[in-house]
Amino acid sequence: MSIEEHDLPGIGRRYDLGDLDGSRVSVVIHHGGRRDIYLSSGGDSEPSVLSLNDRQARQLGAILGGAYFQPAVVAEIEAAIGGLLIDWVTLDADSRGVGRTIAELEIRRRTRMTVVAILREHTTLTAPEPAEALHAGDQLVIVGRREDLAAFTRHVVDRG
Amino acid sequence: MGDELVALGGAFLAAGLLARVGRRVGLPTIPFFMLAGVVFGPHTPGLALVEDPDDLALVATLGLILLLFHLGLEFSLHDLAAGGRKLLGAGAVYLGLNVGGGLLFGLALGWGGREALVIAGAIGISSSAIVTKLLVELRRLANPESRLILGIVVVEDIFLALYLALLQPVLGNARGAGEAALEFGRAAAFLLVMTAIARWGSQWVRPLLDGRDDELLTVCFLGFAVLTAGVAHELGVSEAIGAFLAGLVVAETGLGEQVERLVLPLRDAFAALFFFAFGLTIDPGDAGAVAGPVAAAVLLTLALNVLAGGLAARMHSFGRRAAANIGLTVLGRGEFSLILATLAVGAGLDARIGPFVALYVLVLAIGGPLLAARSGPISRTIPTRLFPEVAHS
Repeated sequence: MSIEEHDLPGIGRRYDLGDLDGSRVSVVIHHGGRRDIYLSSGGDSEPSVLSLNDRQARQLGAILGGAYFQPAVVAEIEAAIGGLLIDWVTLDADSRGVGRTIAELEIRRRTRMTVVAILREHTTLTAPEPAEALHAGDQLVIVGRREDLAAFTRHVVDRG
Repeated sequence: MGDELVALGGAFLAAGLLARVGRRVGLPTIPFFMLAGVVFGPHTPGLALVEDPDDLALVATLGLILLLFHLGLEFSLHDLAAGGRKLLGAGAVYLGLNVGGGLLFGLALGWGGREALVIAGAIGISSSAIVTKLLVELRRLANPESRLILGIVVVEDIFLALYLALLQPVLGNARGAGEAALEFGRAAAFLLVMTAIARWGSQWVRPLLDGRDDELLTVCFLGFAVLTAGVAHELGVSEAIGAFLAGLVVAETGLGEQVERLVLPLRDAFAALFFFAFGLTIDPGDAGAVAGPVAAAVLLTLALNVLAGGLAARMHSFGRRAAANIGLTVLGRGEFSLILATLAVGAGLDARIGPFVALYVLVLAIGGPLLAARSGPISRTIPTRLFPEVAHS
């Protein structure tokens, strides 16, 4: 896809996305933050226009980019990139995984998910060693396929 | 004091509420601000908010200063360079036709040479505010010809700055060639000094402005703009060009975007009062005397705009729809025509210029957008063979 960029003096910038499925798409970013998305099917017909404010545009962009999340509810944060899921889970005192190491739990083999980081109190352990034991209150950042999340939750997070 | 406050508040409200009515049907605000001044002024029966237009002189001038200051801030040679030679060509064709035609028209009116010079600008220069807003509201920003239209407006803005600078000495009451030459020299010197400051000396102005604090920045740039305008006026260069140059200098300090954001609400408020105050000076009774010239000027402008739009479209191989869009969008007349009329009236030129420009702006500021919105059906009356459309992006 070719993208052409143009100055619109006094208004902002315009990005022409060329031919998409027989339609011409242009995005106008106003100096004031407003974004317009123009969709025209060519010819003399009037274009369809979607106008968004700055916040709406960023949210839409995140959804289109596959990285949509709502920062307010951190525990629920998840981001799916091409079928890949990134999720945050917090361990309770009675979670099955507490007090055992990643190796003992055989997380990767049994749930096909990977713990990529542990947020413990004020420290962050990235790429934890298999010998790392999990504590109550740990926030685990996990990566895997969406369908494997349930198995991970049962094996590590649920009450033992 | 109470009287003045009632007048000022009433002026703001009258202008705002009347313009809101127009806004509802998609019309620009400028003609309605002016109309509010006519309706609530001393020359019409009923409530007169302000008896003497001079009562609002200071706030109205502040509006004029902020309009030009903002224009200077936005002014960018980069925009022009980015458009390339073709864009410059379209702008030059537009100005040549419209300002040239306006000058001939002004001379034909026989009101005088200086009057003809003012009419040339008032008829020849489109309203950036109306054109820009129209493109956004008619949802035409994605059209290929819209860049060309905005380019023409940029060329017009540049022309306006030069034209304003050279007009003031002509408007002054110079007696004899020697005095006129002196005034020209003074204007040119001021222009050169300010442009030089904008180009090389913005670091001397920078300490005046503190970008870390919006409040203090507003107070200081306002002071700088008004002071420069005042000094310009004292030197006989006109406060308008002084304010424009102040904007140019501030744009070069690197605080341009921040100042632009802060000045916008101030500009909107005081510019409304500027248009309102202009309306106060207009006696609808004079409309009859200028109706003929206005009708002729409107027809001339319409013809020249359609012609210029057609030529610009041909230069860029656009189709007939784009040709109609260009010609009918740049038709809008507004703030610049009114600024020129204010300067002319202030300089004591033929008194008919006031009502002439007022009526002319009223017709085109309202008629222009109405025609532009219907450019599709209108364009279908143009023979296709005039605009053989060439595929382009």
